[in-house]
Amino acid sequence: MAALSGFAYETYYLGIRTTRRFTRVPANVVSIVFFPLIQLLVFSQLYKDIVQLPGFGEQTSYLAYLAPGQVAFTALMAVAWSGYGLLIEYRSGYLDKLRANPIARWSILAGEMVPLFFQAAMMAGVVLIVSLLLGAQLVTGVGGFLLILALSGLFGVSFAGVSFVPALLTKSEQATSTLSLLLFPLVFISTAFVPQALMPGWMQVVNDYNPVTYVIEAIRTLMVTGYDWGAIGTALLSMVILGGVLQAATLWAFHRLAD
Amino acid sequence: MGNLRSREPDFGERKVSVSTDYAIETDELVKVYDTGTRALDAISFSVEGGELFGLLGPNGAGKTTAIRILATLLRPTSGRGRVAGFDVAREPREVRRRLGLAMQTPTLDAFSTGRETLELAGRLHRMRGEEIRRRADELLEMMALGGVAGKLTGTYSGGMKRRLDLAAALMHRPEVLILDEPTEGLDPQSRTALWEELERISQAGTTMLLTTHYMEEADRLCSRLAIIDNGQIVVEGEPEALKQGISAETVVLQIERNGSADEVADVRRLLEGMVSAEDVVDHPAGVSLSVANAGLAIPGLLRRLDGNGVQVTGLQMSRPSLDDVFMKYTGRRIREEAADQPIIMGW
Repeated sequence: MAALSGFAYETYYLGIRTTRRFTRVPANVVSIVFFPLIQLLVFSQLYKDIVQLPGFGEQTSYLAYLAPGQVAFTALMAVAWSGYGLLIEYRSGYLDKLRANPIARWSILAGEMVPLFFQAAMMAGVVLIVSLLLGAQLVTGVGGFLLILALSGLFGVSFAGVSFVPALLTKSEQATSTLSLLLFPLVFISTAFVPQALMPGWMQVVNDYNPVTYVIEAIRTLMVTGYDWGAIGTALLSMVILGGVLQAATLWAFHRLAD
Repeated sequence: MGNLRSREPDFGERKVSVSTDYAIETDELVKVYDTGTRALDAISFSVEGGELFGLLGPNGAGKTTAIRILATLLRPTSGRGRVAGFDVAREPREVRRRLGLAMQTPTLDAFSTGRETLELAGRLHRMRGEEIRRRADELLEMMALGGVAGKLTGTYSGGMKRRLDLAAALMHRPEVLILDEPTEGLDPQSRTALWEELERISQAGTTMLLTTHYMEEADRLCSRLAIIDNGQIVVEGEPEALKQGISAETVVLQIERNGSADEVADVRRLLEGMVSAEDVVDHPAGVSLSVANAGLAIPGLLRRLDGNGVQVTGLQMSRPSLDDVFMKYTGRRIREEAADQPIIMGW
């Protein structure tokens, strides 16, 4: 218990600083939102008629189908950038300064992930609002909107290790962004663009274990059908499992700084 | 907490550490990096509570590695280090509670204000809100940063950043203050001001360990120092004793030219029995002599020379510097060392 309350205390105060760093800089908000928005706009026009294929069921607008995936994709774009903040603090020596404080190592990492949560949630919100303006629906209203933002934020944090581990191990911006590109196939082999039924066999197998799909489906139900706690619970569980593994790897990489 | 009316900054009471009398102790510390570089080669030294101990050496000598190990940032390959009575490898958290650290370049969050920087330092050391405010006010005033406390540190000058960095390290009244090259990159005026501040902190009882490659800094500040070169301590002691240990003060005599072809040979011959021949050498201004104590030797030298018709028209004497000490033990001048930082090859 003491360890947990210490963790909460330290993450809170470290998070205030990292969030300040985020809010006081005109961040790369544009570049993060840009790509998913382009996909949303272009693909929804280009593949407009794809919804006539049987796998889409009752869906009549490809834009409505595409929107949840682009919301999740935006959160992942925020992840791809997140290791940069850590690298900047490593280079300036600030990270060492934090390491010399009597605080838990995981608090330092969690503090670095606080702005990622807000960033992923906010960027997802922007894409969501744009898709609503373009005609996508959100049957669960304001409650669903906030839930989608929270899911997107948590989704970003659970994937943070994908950017943090290469940043800590290579200490190179180039390597970090290149390795973060490995996230993209996970989006392509998810239900972001087409339903599982339309995928080749091996992709369906990958898709069954793809955490991105679970999050997209949770967002999709919130947008299209209503509160489906089974889908939301599955999404959260997949984030906890994936997040647990990636955070453990990140902590391991962090301890290597002392070598 | 001391007298509340006191206008002097209060560094608080310090508890005497357990199990050792030393505030800092290293025992055969070795650090070999993954690259194979042997940065520390069995370093041992001890610093008593309240001392201001210096590690003096050229860039790349291993000073920063030693400091990073003592600050719990780096694991030693072998050997042991203790700070404030706790083992740096096995009880890092206890060490961190009692440690104040300022690195070679000020490490500040550019998007925090001066006051926010100090507040976070206080929070991370579990200080209470009221105490944090009081302590931050006190340190901001002491470091002459009161006027810029609300500005982002990214807008500070080099000297201001240094002072804020030092203030942040002092927030929790550390038992031990570790400073890596505290005045590197400062202009002479800011450097002198910072020296005065460090002297005050030291006089208030805080144990300090600092690294420097400035002779003048080591000479002025340190009560004791170790000269470190190639990862080893080559000599250790009080600056005064180290300089006296060279047993060579220099006397330069300007001599009236009286037509003699070889003044050095003349002086050598005349001073036989007082100064050995190899300690008399040519010098652009005349003749240079090495003697153990210039003040004692000069009257006798002048009488002997004058009595033999050699007119001394000018006299300079100089005491040995730490630079001479470094020269004696390493065979090099510290200033000749290029500031060659290793290039980090990443991928």
